[in-house]
Amino acid sequence: MSRGLLPVKNVFEEVGVMMILTVRTLVSAVKPPYPYGEELVWQFLFVLKLSWFPLVISTFALNFGAPGLQAAGILSLIGGLDRLGGFFVVIAIRWIGPVVTAVVVAGVAGTAITADLGARKIREELDALQVLGVDPVKNLVVPRFLALIVITGLLDIFAIVMGLSAGIAAELLYHQSLGGFFATLFSNATITDLWSSVMVCTMFGAIVAVVCSYKGMSASGGAAGVGRAVNQAVVISLMAVFFFQFVVSSILFATNPELQAVR
Amino acid sequence: MIGWLDVPRSWLDSFGEIGRFGLHVAGQVYSGRAFKFFGESVRQAGILIFGSALIIWAFVFILGLQCGLQGAYFNRSIGAPSLAGLFAAYCDLREGLPYAFGYILAAKVGTGIVAEIGAMRIFDEIDALEVMGIQPITFLCATRLLAAWIALPFLYLVGIVIIYGASYFSVVNQVGDVSSGGYLLIFWMYQSPPDLIFSLIKGMVMATVIVLVGCYYGYTATGGPIGVGTATAKSMVFNIVAVHIIGMLGTVVFWGANPRAPIGG
Repeated sequence: MSRGLLPVKNVFEEVGVMMILTVRTLVSAVKPPYPYGEELVWQFLFVLKLSWFPLVISTFALNFGAPGLQAAGILSLIGGLDRLGGFFVVIAIRWIGPVVTAVVVAGVAGTAITADLGARKIREELDALQVLGVDPVKNLVVPRFLALIVITGLLDIFAIVMGLSAGIAAELLYHQSLGGFFATLFSNATITDLWSSVMVCTMFGAIVAVVCSYKGMSASGGAAGVGRAVNQAVVISLMAVFFFQFVVSSILFATNPELQAVR
Repeated sequence: MIGWLDVPRSWLDSFGEIGRFGLHVAGQVYSGRAFKFFGESVRQAGILIFGSALIIWAFVFILGLQCGLQGAYFNRSIGAPSLAGLFAAYCDLREGLPYAFGYILAAKVGTGIVAEIGAMRIFDEIDALEVMGIQPITFLCATRLLAAWIALPFLYLVGIVIIYGASYFSVVNQVGDVSSGGYLLIFWMYQSPPDLIFSLIKGMVMATVIVLVGCYYGYTATGGPIGVGTATAKSMVFNIVAVHIIGMLGTVVFWGANPRAPIGG
């Protein structure tokens, strides 16, 4: 194979190994015995305590600046500030909620997972576990995977709540009553919006968990190796999450015409 | 096990230190002391361009596709599909590109700097530099900041071209509610050269903060191989929140009082 194609080959190999890890994680999650209960609770609380504060600040700031002030500026010029509620269904629920949750979880919890597993790999603890007959995938990857899936779905709700309160803040900044905001919000929002947002977000959690666990477990090369693993893990997670979001929202819009009905 | 309030408390602890460190590094560049190592700066700029440019542009391209898609469907749902260019113009230039640039820069460049400088700290290479009579902060941090200021504005400007192309593709070719001419008319009408300058300022402030935070966490890494990984993770947490806060403040300062739209008198 020529040298120019080597990066392409490496990308396909990495994706393939991550797919294999995903399947192995899913299989060992459902196959008894279930030794990971305690670790699951621990990881769940760890991720929640680590990421609630960055998530609250990030979603409020992003929703207040990007859709809040920019759209309110345009809408106040054409005298339709009550329409901001309908706009926030599109932005805060369908788009920013899941994406910012995934970015925060990848940056906060994903990096912590990679650093933790990478350190264990460098200190050869993973090999020691295997010698003792303990499966690292079942005991280390599965609890992190399940914890991230549950917690991204949960944090997505908080992201939506904080996003809508940022919209309310933008509305109040323009001295507008909130009746119009809530009226257009509830007339535009559908159940499909909410469940698709939460479902997509749980899948983001799965992507982040698999990528970060894989990169941590394949770290090599001493002190610089763990740092490099964290670097690659977070870059790959972000690219995968944004690409996945584009594909899913293309399919969602094309297959659910009620999302585009004029209200 | 960490407590519920440990993350905000640790930020309050380290915020002053990061500010002082950042001002020191920026002062080294501003006073011209970093230009003593100008060759190193150019080498770092080269690493930035060859190592990160393609990833930054790929990320920006995906966000541009998403901006166009959401804009096209939102404008269909309010019964004005021909105005998709308005959403795309605002989303691309004013908000989307700075955020995309900030995210991927924090992920690729920021954590990369922490991993690199942190490993140097663990292997005592920084002390060795000091023994050799070279100021480590100037040689390692100030040159990286200078390199970011040399290279990143151009990566950002090329990113604008890429995000515009991606939005055009998804509005006109993928969804196809509006013709090419109709889209471009509205798209170019709702932006102006000052918007470009403001957007560039926003992106460059984010880049500066990200490089400085990366240098701080790398320079102060302790505790062996695990320490480097932990420092890398911490820098990412700080950078994500910093990117969002800078984005919000930029919007408030540049477009908060005046939406700069061609509507009304």
